[in-house]
Amino acid sequence: MGAEVIVTKDLTKIYSGHLGSGAVRSLDSLNLVIRENEVFGFLGRNGAGKTTTIKILCSLLRPTDGWATVYGENVRSRNARRFIGFLPENPYFYEYLTPKETLDFYGRLNGLDAAARAREWDSLGELLDLHRIANQRVRGFSKGMRQRLGFAVALVGDPEVLILDEPMSGLDPLGRRNIRELILWMRDAGKTIFFSSHVLGDVEQICDRVGILVNGKLTTQGRIDELLTQHVRQVEVILAGLSEADAKAIANGADHKRVSEAGRHFVVEDPQKADALVRAAQGRGAQLVEFTPIRESLEDYFMREQGDDS
Amino acid sequence: MRILAVAHNTFREAIRDKILYVLLFFAAVAIFGSKLLGWISIGQDIKIIKDISLAAVSVFGVLIAIFVGTSLIYKEVDKRTIYTIICRPMHRFEFILGKYLGLAYVLALVTVVMAITAMAYVTILGGSIDRTFLMAVVLIYFELLLVTALAVLLSTLTSPILGAIIVFSLYVTGHATGIFVDLPAHFDDTFAKHMLEIVYYVLPNLSNFNIRAEAANELPVTGGYFLWAVFYGVFYTGMLLVVASLTFEDKDV
Repeated sequence: MGAEVIVTKDLTKIYSGHLGSGAVRSLDSLNLVIRENEVFGFLGRNGAGKTTTIKILCSLLRPTDGWATVYGENVRSRNARRFIGFLPENPYFYEYLTPKETLDFYGRLNGLDAAARAREWDSLGELLDLHRIANQRVRGFSKGMRQRLGFAVALVGDPEVLILDEPMSGLDPLGRRNIRELILWMRDAGKTIFFSSHVLGDVEQICDRVGILVNGKLTTQGRIDELLTQHVRQVEVILAGLSEADAKAIANGADHKRVSEAGRHFVVEDPQKADALVRAAQGRGAQLVEFTPIRESLEDYFMREQGDDS
Repeated sequence: MRILAVAHNTFREAIRDKILYVLLFFAAVAIFGSKLLGWISIGQDIKIIKDISLAAVSVFGVLIAIFVGTSLIYKEVDKRTIYTIICRPMHRFEFILGKYLGLAYVLALVTVVMAITAMAYVTILGGSIDRTFLMAVVLIYFELLLVTALAVLLSTLTSPILGAIIVFSLYVTGHATGIFVDLPAHFDDTFAKHMLEIVYYVLPNLSNFNIRAEAANELPVTGGYFLWAVFYGVFYTGMLLVVASLTFEDKDV
């Protein structure tokens, strides 16, 4: 298990309304641990508190209560920010700058000298395919181009931790695939990645662990395979050498779906009943061809976690 | 280095802003148009041209300081460009100082351009530029630095429109702070008098920077007064920037 990189303890944010009225608890006692070289997906509906959490981690917001650290440094400290590269949702940059000028500016903010800034431009420009648009102003950039530039800006200074707020939002399938590949490349480069997303299919493909936030509270966190294994929805069983009469006799509530070359297909809601079905069939001379637990997708799990709110 | 990076960028942004050139155009119109008033004041034309030119440098400089300064920080938050900046390993006050210095560069450039234009025009029309005229230009610049710091402070607190109204009101009041202490005798030892005295000392006394009448009439101004006014400007500006930095330090963006 890797070292703890991001830790939050009872992190709470309450936005007070005008004249003290209508306070909104956007984040409620969030406790999280993100470990080194992990890809952590932070899920939740709009307004669940994902961006609030990210903004606190990046020191854009002050928590009302609790604390957060990065490599043991409180996120309010300048030292913590040395470790962080941040990509906001729909990143905005100075419209009058070119990508090269933009990276140079952020390189200066990171305290890089001219030679280091030139190296950053060479490597990040190459990685994110910015060289061919080096002298175009950001003003005319498409969403995908801005996102690429945003990743380059986040990677300036080679930070250990990347915090990405909805990095796939608004991108076409090709753009999303590029971002997925980029996140996996960053993980292979040893980075720790914390990102929020609405695109559950993408999260399922690339995350080691996820956390689900519902109305400011973390309801679930864990490895995707563990979370979803606990919730086998159905089991599909294929049995060969079973007559129709035997099939009816042993079904016991199992749904006899169809017959194929492989055998008779049953779908059973309860895994224990599926075991019983297999034993009964084998007692009548049938052979088990396939036993497939049908697990929840992350989307099913996410929707269930939302409960009545969804 | 980080402060200079932000300052350089702010300068680059401001000099690409069309409003700067519009205001410079009107400043040039005011300087060259001062000849018209010179004609109707027989024998006083150079004096009038000097006075109006210095007033133009001051007024248009203040308009730039107010219009650009009051949106300086607000715009960064509103357009979210600040997100990727203050999450860097930098202090927030470095950002405030960088933005301020960037605009101070711009105002230095604008003041120099307007002053050179005015001095060339006065010289062409047969007048001469003395030390007091140059001192007046320098003090106008220090006044602009103070007004800019006030605008930047307001920019951390409120919208550009409200900020501009407040800064403009303070600019006007700052040129007339004497009214807070020159009260009739029956106000002596009243609560109102004490309160107005506090207001007098808290508000910036911008008339300290106004030696335009002396410059127009070619009257000498002592080096001691000049240095005192510069010190007043630097001190007041510094205090405003400290308050702006403290205000911004814990602000949610």
